[in-house]
Amino acid sequence: MLFSAALPVEAGEPLGNAYLVELINTALQAKLASERDWHLLLHYRKNVLGGYTSEQDDPGFFMSPDGKTDPQAELDATLKQFFSNELVGRSKQPAQCAFIARYEWLRDRLRFDETRLPPMACERFTRWFTDFEAQSITLIFPSAFMNNPASMFGHTLLRVDQRGQTDSTRILAYTINYAADVPRDAGMAYPIKGIFGWYSGFFSTIPYYIKVQEYRDIENRDIWEYRLNFTEHQVRRLLMHAWELGNASFDYFFFKENCSYHLLALLDYADPTLHLTDEFLFWTVPADTVRLIASKSGLISDVAYRASRSNVIRRKRESLPSEDREIAHRLTKDAGELTSPEFAHLSLTRQAFLLDLASDYLRYRSETTDSPLPEWRDRNRAILTARSQLRIPSEEFVVKPFAKQPELGHKTSRAGVGAGWRNNDTFEEVTVRAGYHDLLDPEVGYTPDAQIELASVSVRHYNRVDQTRIERATLANIMSLSPIDSVFHVPSWKINVGMQTIKYNECQLCSNGVINGGIGGAIESRFLKREVLFAFAEVEANYSRAYRDDHRIGGGGTGGMLADVTDHWKIMATGSYFKYALGEKSDDIRWFVGSRYTLAQNLALRLEYNHRSHDDDVVFSMQAFF
Amino acid sequence: MSKRMLMLSIAVLFGMPAGLAMAANPDTGPGCGLGKLAWADYSHQKNIAPQVLMATTNGTFGSTTFGISTGTSGCTNDGKVMAEQKTTVFAELNFENLSQEMAQGQGEHLASLATLMGVQAEHQAAFFAMTQERYTSLIKAGEVSPVAMVKAINDAIAVHPVLAQAPVR
Repeated sequence: MLFSAALPVEAGEPLGNAYLVELINTALQAKLASERDWHLLLHYRKNVLGGYTSEQDDPGFFMSPDGKTDPQAELDATLKQFFSNELVGRSKQPAQCAFIARYEWLRDRLRFDETRLPPMACERFTRWFTDFEAQSITLIFPSAFMNNPASMFGHTLLRVDQRGQTDSTRILAYTINYAADVPRDAGMAYPIKGIFGWYSGFFSTIPYYIKVQEYRDIENRDIWEYRLNFTEHQVRRLLMHAWELGNASFDYFFFKENCSYHLLALLDYADPTLHLTDEFLFWTVPADTVRLIASKSGLISDVAYRASRSNVIRRKRESLPSEDREIAHRLTKDAGELTSPEFAHLSLTRQAFLLDLASDYLRYRSETTDSPLPEWRDRNRAILTARSQLRIPSEEFVVKPFAKQPELGHKTSRAGVGAGWRNNDTFEEVTVRAGYHDLLDPEVGYTPDAQIELASVSVRHYNRVDQTRIERATLANIMSLSPIDSVFHVPSWKINVGMQTIKYNECQLCSNGVINGGIGGAIESRFLKREVLFAFAEVEANYSRAYRDDHRIGGGGTGGMLADVTDHWKIMATGSYFKYALGEKSDDIRWFVGSRYTLAQNLALRLEYNHRSHDDDVVFSMQAFF
Repeated sequence: MSKRMLMLSIAVLFGMPAGLAMAANPDTGPGCGLGKLAWADYSHQKNIAPQVLMATTNGTFGSTTFGISTGTSGCTNDGKVMAEQKTTVFAELNFENLSQEMAQGQGEHLASLATLMGVQAEHQAAFFAMTQERYTSLIKAGEVSPVAMVKAINDAIAVHPVLAQAPVR
């Protein structure tokens, strides 16, 4: 019997379909259900105790009720569904179209007889696919943005580059973006739900120009673009599978099954020899995925950098003599400067340059503030009107990045061994840190002056007292230094939750829980190579049996300096004073001096000195990133 | 900024940097393959760029990616911008970047607009010079609506000695 699209067999109806039986048998003999392509298409991962489970969480993604855990049953049910024009999945299309990558793969592997299993015209897919005018795929990495927890580690998305696209029209390309669907009023629940997978993640195709606005203009994040060396066939495979994922939703886990992870799954299907998702067991940090992709030889053909607006402004200012910088600054304050003799005497190209800088700055102010002043907008208009009257095009200005490419940076986890002295004892210690980067770590590839330490534990053995103990533990220790100058005024801040070991009164080695938060400012200088000086006002709560009533709460401040001495050598020094008014009434003076020397991309030496009253601690350690 | 910092402190206190990617709100309705862009109605048509910014800024915590008020819905069910709306949607969402680049006589948004309007690559410089020269009137049109700005550009092309010769979409 012949089946055609015009005479469909309803799904669920007993099929006396000999051809279906034949296809199922052939697929079984060829063991198609255990092939890598099939597992990639259905997102199956091997279970620890054998068997498979799909990471996909939308039942509409499977044709068999057992599809999530049974690759064979899913393959049989898929073949059966190809004979039907019943609308399936969230996208409500016949299975051949809704799951077009599966269809094409099975068609090619089983050599479908088109007279016995007629292909359907998938017009929606064809329109969608054609509209991309896809030629290649670019991995986009907007770098970390400290002032939003959702963006602290950066983000990744794919751009589908168009045929005939140029450097200046690539913003017209579509992206493939995976993100969690978070309700607008998520508030307090957001981080918790995000970590435990309570949100669903979806794919979308947002034009790249919107992403550029979001990252470059509003959040002031640098963007790195990595052109991937995919063949036309691989690009088609990627897009077909992306189309299928329109039917999918995954539980969104911030640490592992996040934007980066699912994009890797798409890249894996485009080129199954890559094995990208296999490399991530516990968490997927966007910068790690960039490093991984960069490490695959020949996968990246071209790297492009797109500077954030704030970095464009910084570099343009740097290039100017101070009197011109002053004129640009006055232009942003008062449109009357346009008619001043100082400005009028400048060459046309220099006038254009200063007006462009002033306009960049006014837009920066308008777009990064919650309630922009209307006069910024008016002044920008006046400046642009004056600019248009110069009748010359702006010259190209190449912006050099402040931070190197992320793939040149150290890996995200760290382990260290060290030894040292504390008061009149000696010790050895081992430290393991899950992530991510502290101020003294090698800064190459990371957002400058930003620290995020998560889940770190140090175990120490004291030789004289012969005691082994957890010396330090950090849940989170985050610090963001934002140097202030005449243009940028972003506050610096820090927050730290963890425990350490203190010596206090009679208590020689006592655990001390700490919650500390602070806000302050930083400035940059260039006496040696580059230094950042900072000061914080802080509040702190301590919990330890060393204190009367087991606690003390108070406030204080920290001042310090972070300095690059050479490309490999960095030092940091801080001094703090705290006064505790609640619990054990006391005060505390602390010093810290630390020094790091980079041996290799993933290897560094540290020498650190910590002082509290009657308590001196020196440790020398070697740290490896993995 | 302060709002973000507050959110951050909450995130930190409650367990941790929440995460890696938050931005798009995809489709929940039927028939949207890859997810429909979120189109919302904004009241101030003139001021679309700040609206876009607002939507995206919220979007980092909220859901909508961006909103637009072209009057017609410019989105296909499968998450693409409709072909006949591409130029208007682009002009509307990039109005601030376009006005800056028109004044500057060059830029990627302007080059992209030229491409969408069918200006040949070899005539791009003439297109840039024309939009710079007519900056004031084009911006005035753009503040009324993106459709008006695109029309004003098309009208200017029609009477331009070089650009008029090239076929324009």
